[in-house]
Amino acid sequence: MIDIFTVIVPHALMALAIWRLLPRDDLDQDPHLPVKADMFRQKRPLKAERAHPKPARTRDA
Amino acid sequence: MLNLFLTAFVAGFLGAGMKRPFLFVLAYAYIDVVGPQKVTWGFLAHVPVSLIAFACAFIGWMVADNKDGARFSPRQFVLLALLIYCGITTKLADFPVEAAEKWSWVWKALIFALFLPLTLRTKLRIEALILVMVLSVGVIVIGGGIKTLASGGGGYGELKLLVNDNTGLYEGSIISAVAICIIPLALWLARYGTIFKPSWMVTLFAWGICFACILMPIGTQARTGLICVGVLGIMMLRSTKRRMTYISLVTIAGLVAMPLLPQSFTERMSTIGNHKADQSASTRLEVWKWTIDYAKTHPFGGGFDAFRQNEVVYETVKADYAGANNAVIAKDRIVEKARAYHSSYFEMLGEQGYPGLGLWLLLHLMGVLQMEVLRRRYAKNAPDGFGWVTPLADALQQAQIVYLIGGAFVGIAFQPFCYMLVGLQCGLSGYMGRIRRTVPPPFRVARKTSAPPVLEPAM
Repeated sequence: MIDIFTVIVPHALMALAIWRLLPRDDLDQDPHLPVKADMFRQKRPLKAERAHPKPARTRDA
Repeated sequence: MLNLFLTAFVAGFLGAGMKRPFLFVLAYAYIDVVGPQKVTWGFLAHVPVSLIAFACAFIGWMVADNKDGARFSPRQFVLLALLIYCGITTKLADFPVEAAEKWSWVWKALIFALFLPLTLRTKLRIEALILVMVLSVGVIVIGGGIKTLASGGGGYGELKLLVNDNTGLYEGSIISAVAICIIPLALWLARYGTIFKPSWMVTLFAWGICFACILMPIGTQARTGLICVGVLGIMMLRSTKRRMTYISLVTIAGLVAMPLLPQSFTERMSTIGNHKADQSASTRLEVWKWTIDYAKTHPFGGGFDAFRQNEVVYETVKADYAGANNAVIAKDRIVEKARAYHSSYFEMLGEQGYPGLGLWLLLHLMGVLQMEVLRRRYAKNAPDGFGWVTPLADALQQAQIVYLIGGAFVGIAFQPFCYMLVGLQCGLSGYMGRIRRTVPPPFRVARKTSAPPVLEPAM
């Protein structure tokens, strides 16, 4: 009985911790550190997009 | 049922790693500490789960993880040198078969400690690893604590933990030292955790874990654990703000606990000051003397398990008092062979010689200093969002000093849990280094001048 209790409680808490970690963005990207990859690896526009750039959207008056 | 539960848990843990690869690292840490393959006799016992988790962690890091700013710290180079050196001594070992067996798990612990800091890139990852380490040790100590409360432990080596094979963290002296190491980490989680945010329930659970940890030296009746408790108590005095309150509370707790302690525990602890009457303590001293002599002729060590060639002879002295001036002295001549070192320092000296001992000491002393620098740097006026750094550096330093003092009486020089602490320290230090580097010093500091010089235009 004691052994079952000692297995269940920490494992249940670990499972809950994993569940809470899954959706958190700061697991992989620390909010205090800059996102270097975004600075250097910005997505280049496609060739067709460069030839015919989309007009910027303007709000109707 | 337990088999199914643990198998499902491990499968779920590894499955979660498919979504967030860092969870593989946590899964490996969990498997290394708890050893679910030891607990069960079913599917897990026949599958190399530890190897699978490590392979997944490494591949996940290689393929999917951001490696910006990842670099080897000087401590990791020391660790690498220790790994290579241990590999060489294993090749030249006095007992090649036994040495190879120990090497088979030592290299994994060292490689994981080398790899761990590279993955600890965010504060949340550091916190998550600490949480998994504390809860994994909790799997062993919660049951041990309850059994100690129920039966007092039953005597030295009698406490039945979750796994009754007396290896790794399931060995009484080792768990009593490691359990004390995690107390500061559990208290840190209760105050600064974000996965389980501070609340009365979290605090209550953390105190419960700490209480179970303190019960481990009582339950296992390992003297090392009592020494570790004393060391941690003194070190916590340094970091507590209300010292007199702390001293008063500790004194009251000690006075209340004293009459409740089992008699077998107090009898065994009383042998700390009288080693001549105790066979176990006398054996240690003789083995340590043998190791010093052995290192004189084998300065580069004898490889893992070199203790197997020792033979020690000593006498135990017992005095039975029948009155104030009447004592019967009984001497016993003891001969023992192949006795383990029972000390991490002598383990390193005997197995890895002076170079190995030097590298091991350097690795740990650098850690103590590194944590001291961090705790001082952020002790006053910590930037917003970094109030947790000093308490964590403090907790990791306390855990390491408890390990180093406890390690003087237990052979835990290569205990994987302790290398996780080293990895955590390197990870914290590396993370704070990256944080500092993101705030570059100003390119040009403006001079303090009273007034700019006025130049006359050339005519």
